[in-house]
Amino acid sequence: MLGPNVAWYVVIAAFLFGIGALGVLIRRNMLVVLLSLELMLNGGNLALIALSRHWHNGAGQIFALTVMAIAASEVCVGLGLVVALNRRNLSLDVDTLSELRG
Amino acid sequence: MIAASAGNVLVWIVWVVAAFSCLAAGVAVISFSNPFYSALALIGNLASLAVMYLLLSAEFVAAAQVLVYAGAVVVMFLFVIAYVGPRKETPWSGGPSWQTFCAVAAAGALLVEIVVAVGMQANGSLSHETEVGADFGTPAWIGRVFLVDHLLAFEITSVVLLVAAVGGVILGSHTRRVA
Amino acid sequence: MTAMTYGAWLCLLAPLGGTILITLCGTRIPRVAAAWIATTSVFVAFAGAIWAFLGVHATHQAQCLGTLPCNLPRGEYTTAWTWLAAGHFSVPLQLLVDPLSTMMMLIVSGVGGLIVLYSIGYMDGDDEERRYFAYIAFFVFSMLLLVEGGNLLMLLIGWGLVGLSSYLLIGFWHDRPSAVQAAKKAFVMNAFGDATMALAFFIIIAHTNSLSFSTLSFNFSSTQANLISLGLLGGAVAKSAQIPLQTWLPDAMEGPTPVSALIHAATMVTAGVYLIARTHPVFEQARTIELIAAGTGALTLLVAGLIALVQTDIKRVIAYSTMSQIGYMFVGVGVGGYANGMFHLMTHAFFKALLFMTAGLAIHALANEQDIRKMRGLGRVMPFTKWCFLAGALALVGIPPFSGWFSKDPIIASTLNIGWYGYVFYACGIVGAFLTGLYTFRLWFLVFPGEPSPFVREHYHDHHGREGAWTMLLPVGILAVLATIGGWIQFPPHWDPITKWLAPVAPSLPDAVASTTQETVTSIVSPLVGLAGIAIAWAVYSERKIAIPAAPSVRRVLENKFYFDWLYDRIFYEPAVWLATFLRREFEEPVVLQTGTDLGDATIETGGLVRRIQTGLLRTYVLFLAAGAAGVVLAFLIAK
Repeated sequence: MLGPNVAWYVVIAAFLFGIGALGVLIRRNMLVVLLSLELMLNGGNLALIALSRHWHNGAGQIFALTVMAIAASEVCVGLGLVVALNRRNLSLDVDTLSELRG
Repeated sequence: MIAASAGNVLVWIVWVVAAFSCLAAGVAVISFSNPFYSALALIGNLASLAVMYLLLSAEFVAAAQVLVYAGAVVVMFLFVIAYVGPRKETPWSGGPSWQTFCAVAAAGALLVEIVVAVGMQANGSLSHETEVGADFGTPAWIGRVFLVDHLLAFEITSVVLLVAAVGGVILGSHTRRVA
Repeated sequence: MTAMTYGAWLCLLAPLGGTILITLCGTRIPRVAAAWIATTSVFVAFAGAIWAFLGVHATHQAQCLGTLPCNLPRGEYTTAWTWLAAGHFSVPLQLLVDPLSTMMMLIVSGVGGLIVLYSIGYMDGDDEERRYFAYIAFFVFSMLLLVEGGNLLMLLIGWGLVGLSSYLLIGFWHDRPSAVQAAKKAFVMNAFGDATMALAFFIIIAHTNSLSFSTLSFNFSSTQANLISLGLLGGAVAKSAQIPLQTWLPDAMEGPTPVSALIHAATMVTAGVYLIARTHPVFEQARTIELIAAGTGALTLLVAGLIALVQTDIKRVIAYSTMSQIGYMFVGVGVGGYANGMFHLMTHAFFKALLFMTAGLAIHALANEQDIRKMRGLGRVMPFTKWCFLAGALALVGIPPFSGWFSKDPIIASTLNIGWYGYVFYACGIVGAFLTGLYTFRLWFLVFPGEPSPFVREHYHDHHGREGAWTMLLPVGILAVLATIGGWIQFPPHWDPITKWLAPVAPSLPDAVASTTQETVTSIVSPLVGLAGIAIAWAVYSERKIAIPAAPSVRRVLENKFYFDWLYDRIFYEPAVWLATFLRREFEEPVVLQTGTDLGDATIETGGLVRRIQTGLLRTYVLFLAAGAAGVVLAFLIAK
């Protein structure tokens, strides 16, 4: 294959995943958390596609398409929640969901 | 690893640019205080990913990525962000003192581990590379694999999409007022 | 089982049944019902004792044919089951019905029955009457177990149980701190005796592998016999309140008067005498120890007599008198005259119980006042009490024809044939008789004759026109009769059925049999000396012709009871308290208690630390997810 080895792609995917995880853990705005989730999913996708190419296995690309579909559904439902919260004038700060406090 | 040929150099350059912009956009997503800008940064991220998919002979997936992700999902995000209104919030704030530090540590640990794994060639699974044919990644090929080998996944995915659509509608609808 | 063994079992188990019945019925029955249950059970025991006695008497007649000496060991063992079996060592649950045990059974259940009947009137109105009667029936059972026990272990069980009953009954009014202290003191001092007895038993088991009475005739080596006898003597001294373990008996007067009469006069304190008589084979192998027992008795009878001269509590005078008379019994069995000692035990039971019970009548009528300095002239308002007390007092001093004269003089006379120390014992006995006359009639002259004191006039209240309830007057009357005529049963050397009766099991040593001359002389000298004591008491206390000699240091020594309590305080009590305080301060508080506190604090702190994980923030919980995932991946990496 031309270009970098598949290992490089997987490393980039790992970085993407890590950045997305960091975003989920750090940000307090619910919308940004959802965006970070998308980053993580994309990282996973990249890894799938790269390894599918490496081993000539179509299942990787199929899986990536499925992940995309799932991501879309999840975003749909998540944003629906955000809209519902907003309609009730509730805060979109994830730190306000703290009733499980010890 | 680096074979010196014109085509190869070009691919490398493209790859470097795409990877760099991908990661930069990712950092941007989690760094901007305005969620609108974060969503826009995500578009950049998705675009560079699509480029990388093309480099990996996954044309259909690249196209789907741009159409579905960048075109639909991010647009939805932008709609909702616009609807919700301006909220500025600083990242890295709030929570107990150990939260940020531990978050960085956890994410970093995951990252390091994967890099190490890859670096060790994942016990040899990354060493053997196979050649692919010209129709690898084409829509026809995807369609055949999807509908022949992975039909169940296809159907279930469609059901999930239906459920999500219904759920989204319900969540977004007005609440019935109890008189 | 033959007839006499039925009697023995009935005698033993009836009071136990009474106790259990009272305990099970609890507050469902009226208090008086509990009282009558106890009394009936003890009288049933008396019936059983008579039954057993008649049975032994019949075999006595059959086997001995009336001739003396009769050396057939007469007694029948009756076994319920083998209680303890360990290799070659086994202890059956058995009773022994023989002349000695039937004699004790009769005394315990007879006098005990009268005293329990008396208690009905004395304890009437007490809130915890049922508990009292349960305890006292239990005591009668324990004492009967002690005397009926067929081997040393059964005896020891009875021994321990009477100690327990004594503790429970001395401390019966448990809201009085002095009573509780006295109960503890009695129990601890008795425990010392129990320990020495146990050691003696260990030696016996080590050499003979058995605790039956027949092993006591085993040929022990001199050291072993001495040690065993010393251990048994320790137990006897503790239980019978002889020097040096005598300090618990005066304090035991904190208990109700019937308890003092039954336990601390008639029965429990005489258990030591019974023990020596029962285990005489091994004592005879250790003659020195036996003579030490006699010496202890002689010393005690003098010391107790002296202390009784300055006591002001009516019950304590009688308590010291008990101590003194048991000293006589110890002299009797110590020189080898077991029948003499047992006979004195019997008459002493009569007149001492009588004295306590009449004192109880006085105390009861004067609303629980026990100080004799306030009681002058009581005889004017309580004549019955006065005459009964006089009968008991004359019996105690040993004036013929009252019972004490018959029983005390043979003991004193029997000391004359054993050597130079026998003369010492004889002198002690005579001086003791003088002291007995003195303190007893000091008490009588201070309390009964003369004009009633203001206190008596103010506080005396009779019981429906009589001096007490009939349940109190009847036993007193019966015992007064027994104290008067009970001595006539044995008048050596003219007739001595008791000696003959006990001869098969406890034959007197030849040295201890006094010649007729010695008997006669003593029988004249002793009552004369006693009369001299009475005369001096009359002169000092009644007619006030002679003033009490004012020897303040002597008086102080006597009032402090020869400083025994003071000494034991310094030797035992204060070091123990110091040690306990020291251990508490240095060890228990910093280490033990603090550990508990620290553990608790540590747990709370750990909980507090762990609590901080529960921040309530979604992000934190996701963080934990991510950290967990990182950990899992790490594990996989390492595994690969």
